[in-house]
Amino acid sequence: MHKLIKGIAAIVLTAGVAAGLMSYAVAQTPPNVLVVGQIAEPQSLDPQHVSAVNDFRILMNVYDGLVRYKDGTLEVEPALATDWSISEDGTEYTFNLREGVTFHDGSPFNAEAVVFNFERMIQEDHPYHTGTFPLSFYFSAVTSVEAVDDMTVKFTLNEPFAPFLSNLAYPAGLIVSKAAVEEHGEDFDRNPSGTGAFKFVEWQSNTRVVVDRFEDYWDGAAPLDAVVYRPITDANTRVAEMLSGGIDVMVEVPPDNVSTFADDPAFTLYEEAGPHLWFLILNAKEGPFADMRVRQAANYAVNKEALVENVLQGTATVAAGPTPPAFNWAYNEELDPYPYDPDRARELLAEAGAEGAELTFYVTEGGSGMLDPVAMGTAIQADLEAVGLDVTIETYEWNTFLGIVNPGLEGKADMAEMAWMTNSPDTLPYLALRTEAWPDQGGFNSGYYSNPEVDALLQQARTSTDQAERAELYKEMQAIVYEEAPWLFVANWKQNAVTTANVENFSLQPSFFLMLQDVAKPN
Amino acid sequence: MSAADTTMSAEVDADAPPARPTAWQLLMNNTLAAAGFWIMAVIVALCILEPILPLPDPDVTSLAERLAPVFSEGHLLGTDHLGRDILARLFSGMRVSLVVGVTASVIAAFFGSLIGLIAGYARGRVDNILMRGIDMLMAFPYILLALAIVAALGPGLLNALYAIAVVNIPFFARNIRGITVGLAGREFVDAARLSGKGHISIVLTEILPNVLPVIVITMSTTVGWMILETAGLSFLGLGAQPPQADLGSMLGEGRSLLFTAPMVSIIPGVMVFIIVMSINLLGDGVRDALDPRLRAGALARPMAVTKIDRKAAPKSDDKSALVVTDLETSFEGTKGTTPAVKGISFSLDKGECLGLIGESGSGKSVTALSLLGLVASPPGIITGGTVAIDGQDVFGMREQEIVALRGRKVAYVFQDPLTTLHPLFTVGDQVVEAVQAHQKISKSDAWAKMLDLFRAVRIPDPEQRANAYPHEMSGGQRQRVGIAMALANDPEIIIADEPTTALDVTVQAEILALLQNLRKERGLALLFITHDFGVVAEICDRVAVMRFGEVVEAGDTMKVLSNPQHDYTKRLIACVPKPGQGRQFLDDVRKLAAETQNG
Amino acid sequence: MTGYILKRLLAAIPVLIGLSIIVFLIMALIPGDPAQAILGNFATPENIARVNRELGLDKSLPEQYFIWIFNVLQGDFGRSYILNRPVLDEILDRFGATLILAGTALVLCSIFGILAGIASAVRQFGWTDRLVTLVVLIGISLPSFFLGLLLILLFAVQWRVLPASGMFAVYGGGDLPDLLYHLILPAVTLAVVATGVVARLTRAAMLEVLRQDFVRTARAKGLDENTVIYKHALKAAMVSVVPVIGIQAGFVLGGAVYIETVFQWPGIGAMLVKAISTRDILLVQGGVLIVAAAYVFVNLLADVVQSLLDPRLKT
Repeated sequence: MHKLIKGIAAIVLTAGVAAGLMSYAVAQTPPNVLVVGQIAEPQSLDPQHVSAVNDFRILMNVYDGLVRYKDGTLEVEPALATDWSISEDGTEYTFNLREGVTFHDGSPFNAEAVVFNFERMIQEDHPYHTGTFPLSFYFSAVTSVEAVDDMTVKFTLNEPFAPFLSNLAYPAGLIVSKAAVEEHGEDFDRNPSGTGAFKFVEWQSNTRVVVDRFEDYWDGAAPLDAVVYRPITDANTRVAEMLSGGIDVMVEVPPDNVSTFADDPAFTLYEEAGPHLWFLILNAKEGPFADMRVRQAANYAVNKEALVENVLQGTATVAAGPTPPAFNWAYNEELDPYPYDPDRARELLAEAGAEGAELTFYVTEGGSGMLDPVAMGTAIQADLEAVGLDVTIETYEWNTFLGIVNPGLEGKADMAEMAWMTNSPDTLPYLALRTEAWPDQGGFNSGYYSNPEVDALLQQARTSTDQAERAELYKEMQAIVYEEAPWLFVANWKQNAVTTANVENFSLQPSFFLMLQDVAKPN
Repeated sequence: MSAADTTMSAEVDADAPPARPTAWQLLMNNTLAAAGFWIMAVIVALCILEPILPLPDPDVTSLAERLAPVFSEGHLLGTDHLGRDILARLFSGMRVSLVVGVTASVIAAFFGSLIGLIAGYARGRVDNILMRGIDMLMAFPYILLALAIVAALGPGLLNALYAIAVVNIPFFARNIRGITVGLAGREFVDAARLSGKGHISIVLTEILPNVLPVIVITMSTTVGWMILETAGLSFLGLGAQPPQADLGSMLGEGRSLLFTAPMVSIIPGVMVFIIVMSINLLGDGVRDALDPRLRAGALARPMAVTKIDRKAAPKSDDKSALVVTDLETSFEGTKGTTPAVKGISFSLDKGECLGLIGESGSGKSVTALSLLGLVASPPGIITGGTVAIDGQDVFGMREQEIVALRGRKVAYVFQDPLTTLHPLFTVGDQVVEAVQAHQKISKSDAWAKMLDLFRAVRIPDPEQRANAYPHEMSGGQRQRVGIAMALANDPEIIIADEPTTALDVTVQAEILALLQNLRKERGLALLFITHDFGVVAEICDRVAVMRFGEVVEAGDTMKVLSNPQHDYTKRLIACVPKPGQGRQFLDDVRKLAAETQNG
Repeated sequence: MTGYILKRLLAAIPVLIGLSIIVFLIMALIPGDPAQAILGNFATPENIARVNRELGLDKSLPEQYFIWIFNVLQGDFGRSYILNRPVLDEILDRFGATLILAGTALVLCSIFGILAGIASAVRQFGWTDRLVTLVVLIGISLPSFFLGLLLILLFAVQWRVLPASGMFAVYGGGDLPDLLYHLILPAVTLAVVATGVVARLTRAAMLEVLRQDFVRTARAKGLDENTVIYKHALKAAMVSVVPVIGIQAGFVLGGAVYIETVFQWPGIGAMLVKAISTRDILLVQGGVLIVAAAYVFVNLLADVVQSLLDPRLKT
């Protein structure tokens, strides 16, 4: 018996040592193959089934929409549609489609495909309306989609809707192959087919998604042979993989690792400000924050400079108001962020008689765009304590957090962390600042801010098709919201990514998309 | 528990050392446990003193000073990602982790033990339902269960504490139930029931006190585990709410800085390790000190041959097959060594039968086992005397030589073959093994030899019975197997240690007759150990009477029987019932018992 | 024996059903729902109602449960809300990975635990014993996630000899050496604690057995010490060690949750953590059921092995 055990032990040891010594030594990715470290497994590769930025990073390279954002901007340019016209009243959009484009499965791109896509998304009784369509409300204004001829499509809206073109450039507007949906049915999520620069090869659960160059890409075949997306949820592991050479590109570098990569010539660090806002919702309906002076005091009390410089290590800038500067045409340059002024905060608190007020503060543990929420929340709590507010933190995992914050803070909390990434200056204020966006009416105004003037400005900006006019309206709105401080404005994120030094033509987009069509990695 | 009982009683038989140390002494004698205790004491002291120590406020942030390295000015262990003093957070974190771990243990122990007691005492349907519930909890991956509970209750230390406690209930419930089932069937519980006690009162006053040490032992071994799990939940962000520090959340928060500022997570990680390690050391010590078997020193590994450390090795001119001169065997205890038998001298020649007689604890078994160094060591030591076999001093031999003698020249037949035969091998295999231990013959030849031996000891249908396991045989048959095993290598001397005690009277007579026959047929020397003068009278030529580890009287059996010199011998003889003696016998025995206690 | 196994399997069914009800209730108690997770920031009450309708979650709880259990009995575990694929496909994918990891860890902990336990018992109070005791204590006192992070820091980042994460090389690879290479760190991390437990238990069982009368009998027969220890004592000790290895399977499966998270192992533990946080009820149900069934099976196996070892337990 003991001989047997010794034998087994010997075998195990030998196998272990042999495997350990095997000359895999340093992981090295092959040339012309780009390995991207993602923050999570994609939920689906059906662009209409997803809502996470993480999934967009794959989808934008596999599919195209009718329009897309011009490189480095949030301005719309032609993609699968070569040009379009808008009717006088702003309710009819007619698109001319690009000729000679085929899907990866070989089926042709035409008006029928476009109509199929939008009807599948909007009509709940459509035979292929299976699964969930989280962003279908982007097109809730669309009443009908018709093929005027084989290469022309007309959208009819129920009212003028200014963000429509921008929404078409968003992943929910990406065009999928009708033939592939019909073939795979519910399993299209894992057997995607688009017209993009890369075609889908395989998806191994929680291991990798592989896409290969699509030779017939209408906009010129990509330099890369293939892209491999690896889900690595743990930020440390992602950093470790990047340092040990297991991946070529890493997105969302943890703030404290940024300098490690920036100082190392083997890596290149990229940063790009985007339309992102990190803020605290303040409960304006009840409790201390019902008084505007207390809300302003909170804005003065928090040292936002210190937060973005130290906790976020410069991966964000201080936010001034509800609109991120990335929407440059709609951003009100005249507003400066509330300065860090604890004395002013104490004065305001004294005026409002809110010294020593007890506050409950909802903090999330993670979530998209939440930028180290626990550390940030803790630091904010300490700053508020310093001016004499008694703040108790309650932390929740992201989905639970949304589940209790979105229905409104009334009776539960005085403040809650929140972050938004949007594609239009309209989205966030329209969904989260209007009176009609109070939770009981289906919006995200969880702090119950209400100002009829703001409501009117937003409604006007949404239906106007003149960008200059919209810009003025948005700037006016920002000034009011800044003054009345329904939120504690904290930070605008600069998204970042690291590549190995041999990755060429890489850039980040303000849209937070990852476009790999022109990226090369020759060795 | 039954296994424990047998070891305990065996230990009592084998003359336990008289003075037992207290639990505290045992704990402090154990270097590792003592180290654990003192580390723990320091940690607890620091936790209690924390508020008055000159430390900064653990919750005050200072973003400009973030991630100061270890040994910075004003921050002995540096600062974390928000510029908070790590030393201060470590101290308050330690306190939180300890309190949570211990509280969760207490809660789990309480509810788990309650379920275990109820299930084990009530049995039947209640038991079934409760245990199925426990099975469910066990089958649920524990971390996920804790995760789901915290997700449902909301985060926070208190909820994490409940989750950890719930997850660990099965551990206690199963342990306690097992022991309660054993206890509920015992005589004292029956007695309590007959005396009209209610169920609750029986459980509380009869069973609980017996289960309590096990609960304490289980707790002491799980507290460390609980602290690790609490840290795990906090690590996943489900425990302490910021800014409160506990070790797990410090580790979790520091984790994202592992590559840039590893000390932020390594310090709390090492602290968790130190705490859990010292608790485990202490827990092991507590277990060792409270477990009755361990207290008796039972869980020490016995050596192949008893330790020999003789003061003197007297020589004898006696040329008998077996000559014992001035044998002294002692037991090591915490207070030094105490002799169990001393000054034992006797001899035994071919074809002779010597009876060694005495009551339990008189040292006769120790004497028998000492002859070939079979006394468990530790604690046993041969401290003096000589055992000469064919004129050669056994205790002067090398270990292999002693082993070679065993079963070859001198063979043993033990009491109670149910425990002395290996329960997991067939009796045939066990005898074959004995044959092959000393004879270089093939397995099939050995098998044939074994069948011969079985026939010689009159086991019916030996081919069939050879494939049986000990538990499948009757007591008498098992003892025949034991004798067959002893005969396997045609030994010259057989030492039979109470070979008939566990048998009923008719079987006893058969076995005695068998031994008598074999002795005569093969010219064996037989050393027969017993407490029964009746048996001695039947088969022994000579007899030695032992008491308190010494031979008090020796001589020809008939002489001693007819004219006992020592009081003790007289009383022993009186213990053999004679037909028609009636009540007088019981009175004699009673007298004897009283004397023994006083003496 | 067959009858016994059948009886045990039948007895497991109510446990599994009860478990599925508990899981279902707990999941129902957790605030937030899958629609919330799918919609993220876009979860307006209106959108949530629409998605819930699309998922069939607008039905009452008992109704949902009965639909689920009815389908499961027909082998249909439903579709994951979040992953948009059949639950069974996902579970089988993931479970294979967990089996490899947990299985390797279990084998490692059994072999090394038993060897260390024997060594430490045989050389009690000697050097080996002290060393084993110390290593075992360190093992059971280290938080496994912390150990995993330290190993990554040392082997993957500092020395670059082993991969930091994953199950296969990102590109190419995919063969057995590649798998073994990726398996080393997570399997070792996972095995460390369980090894400690098995080693302690083996040591105690060996010491207990070495005190038994039948060991004295073996010695009295004149058997050499190796036979006494490795044949007689070890076999008897294994009777009490084997069921503990079965119980360890539960801890290894549980511990795999941390290890899979830290090492990005595509196993069922990491999947369940995520499924709980995204309220993917059907995935949680299916996953817990499979893990629980595996646990029940391993324990049954341990009991069968135990009764093969010990003829007294045969019924």
